Amino acid sequence: MKKKVLLALALITISAMMVLVASPSTEKRETTRLRFIDVSPSPTRQEYFTNTFEKFKQETGITVVYESVPWDDAANKLTVLGASNQLPDVMTTWAGWLGQFTEAGWVVPLADYIGNTKSEYASTVTELVWKAEQELYGNIYTIPDGMMVKGVFVRKDWAKEAGLNLDMKKGWTYSDYFDAVYKLTDPSKNRYGTSFRGSRGAFDPLFVYLTSLNGGSAYAQDGSTLLANQEAIDAYKRWMALYLDGCAPRDAINWGFVEMVDNFCGGLTGTLINDSEVAATCLANMEDHQWMVMPMPRSDKDGKIYNTVNAPYAYSISSTSKNKDAAWKLIEFLTRPDNNIEYCKLTGLIPIKTAVGNDPFYGPDGPYAAFVQQLNDPDMVVPVAFGPFNFTDMHQGMMHEEMQKYLLGRQTAETSLLNVVRELERRMKRYLAENPGSSVEQPKGLL
Amino acid sequence: MGILVFYLALIAVACAFGIVFINKRTGKKSLFRVSNSMQRKAEPYLFLLPVMLLLLLMFGYPLINSFIMAFQNYKLTSPGRIYFNGLENFRNLLSETDISLIIANSFAYVVISVLGQFILGMTLAMALNKQFPFRGIYQALVFLPWSFSAFVIGLMHRWSFNGEYGVVNDVLLRLNIISSKIAWLGTPGFSLAVVIFAMIWMGIPFFAIMILAALQSIPKDVYEASYIDGCGPLRRFFKITFAYIKPTVIVTILLRTIWIFNSFDLIVIITNGGPANFSQTLPSYMYTKAFSSYDFGLASALGVLLMVTLVVYVTVFLKITKYNKAGNF
Repeated sequence: MKKKVLLALALITISAMMVLVASPSTEKRETTRLRFIDVSPSPTRQEYFTNTFEKFKQETGITVVYESVPWDDAANKLTVLGASNQLPDVMTTWAGWLGQFTEAGWVVPLADYIGNTKSEYASTVTELVWKAEQELYGNIYTIPDGMMVKGVFVRKDWAKEAGLNLDMKKGWTYSDYFDAVYKLTDPSKNRYGTSFRGSRGAFDPLFVYLTSLNGGSAYAQDGSTLLANQEAIDAYKRWMALYLDGCAPRDAINWGFVEMVDNFCGGLTGTLINDSEVAATCLANMEDHQWMVMPMPRSDKDGKIYNTVNAPYAYSISSTSKNKDAAWKLIEFLTRPDNNIEYCKLTGLIPIKTAVGNDPFYGPDGPYAAFVQQLNDPDMVVPVAFGPFNFTDMHQGMMHEEMQKYLLGRQTAETSLLNVVRELERRMKRYLAENPGSSVEQPKGLL
Repeated sequence: MGILVFYLALIAVACAFGIVFINKRTGKKSLFRVSNSMQRKAEPYLFLLPVMLLLLLMFGYPLINSFIMAFQNYKLTSPGRIYFNGLENFRNLLSETDISLIIANSFAYVVISVLGQFILGMTLAMALNKQFPFRGIYQALVFLPWSFSAFVIGLMHRWSFNGEYGVVNDVLLRLNIISSKIAWLGTPGFSLAVVIFAMIWMGIPFFAIMILAALQSIPKDVYEASYIDGCGPLRRFFKITFAYIKPTVIVTILLRTIWIFNSFDLIVIITNGGPANFSQTLPSYMYTKAFSSYDFGLASALGVLLMVTLVVYVTVFLKITKYNKAGNF
């Protein structure tokens, strides 16, 4: 009896092996099927994508499978999938990963797919995102999902109490901003002036502030850094003083995106520098009289607004996709004006197509007024990025660790700043040497 | 897919061997003809074969691969630029600016955690070894931390020690033990202390379970004889209790040391090694290197060093504690 059972088991497993080995031929019989990965999942986003994929299937007959990975693990997961040639057909991609992805050949150029439809897109897409990608990587690799620009979220009620007269239309300078942070700090009421970012991503807004001293540039044409001078060190100290002078909780040395937003919405901090997507969180969790958005401060040096404009989770097609044309069809569908505006309203972004018209949601009285106002400001400049090279390791370690060492008094401001900018300089020079004909990215204006 | 096929092949092989042995016992003929003496000799090895194959696949392959990668320039983001680079990874590792801090953290983390767990676990076991009302319920409660996942324990401690809203600061302030809030997770020293505290809390039940089992196996008549001979409590503890449970204590300490040394989940969840690497240990640093810079070569070099360190530790520990002679009466 036992022998029969074992024999049967052996036969079943061998049959199963044969079926599994033969499985590729069965796949061919199926209709076109795409894999899509979302790197910033939430119930709202998942519902939107699932419904949209259903509409897409009805129109095209193409099935799309939704996959997701939490943002904190996204870089790791995509890297592992890329290294093992298992990337999904369509990916939502953060601009900071493109250096790594293009270097490894994991994404396909999209310029040919875009063809002569460029005029359908807003100038923020064509003049900023795509122009930067052309300069950095030699082609266009992403189609923005929506545009994101930074602003300063402020506790309106606290500002009123502190006697601050903040006018969104008038804007403010960095000196005004620093002054406001100090005035909003009141330890007796357990109030801190700013949601200081001390952990991963901490160097991003600081880098923008430092480039504002050089007209938005960080490198000379030969790749030498422009941020290793006394003026930059003083600016570095001024920025870090917000933490050292007690304008942020001591725990903020470990704060990332989530803690910054939670503590602003939760009533612990009075200002928060972040992207327009946070407006959706504020709308959901705070009363209208509690918050407002100011544009990013103008440079004390030349009066211009230096601000990043990017697409948070732009669409790209993986080079291992077997259905690239179908993948492009899906991207076209997702970025169609009706779908795009629905997506942008849900996720707190600014639409990418000119055809969306003047939706009141994005008008002067809407919650995104400060962001749209900046995009229409002739004085707004988009500073350069860290570089076209792979800086993921620095972004996830060295950049904020050097800041933390200074905040903890373990090394001087000069050492902290120079360690980072010299490493960036080293990589930039190596990149220029390894890529003859390439040049240093230049700051960009919209108008 | 490949691994699934391999597992199925493994099951098929195991079934085939099973048929051979059943035929042998029942005296029936089989498709597989093996002589009796050969079969008897091979029997234990054949029984071990499936497990050995699994071990080779799950441990042997990664082990050998990581050893090879330790001597390679192996960055996941540059799959086209993988080559042998000699001892470069080890040189880079030892020249890292924070490496001495991380080694010191690792040492403190392991020694304090193991000692804390041992002392408190032993105390708990001795308390539970006595009869008292509702002992069963109490026992179930104190063993609860061992059943929690490290993720839950990490989150619990991260929130408890939150500088602004944490319950720990609140209690200490109410008791007037501190006058202002402490940024537990943002202060060097404290951040590592919180991780160690969480690790001790999590590991006490394991020591208690192991030691309690050993305590309950000590013959009662030995204690009776000691009372008749007028033996004092301290002497009774060291000469009888501890002598009997020594083999269990040695193995438990050994296992926990290895587990704690290799563990990084609590660190990643509570502090992520911060601030500025002040709560980083070697395994959590290895994880960071592997999954933030994707430098698998450097991470593998660190892994090889960790493995060598643990092998040396186990050898020395077993020698010093005279494990072979422990429990001989």
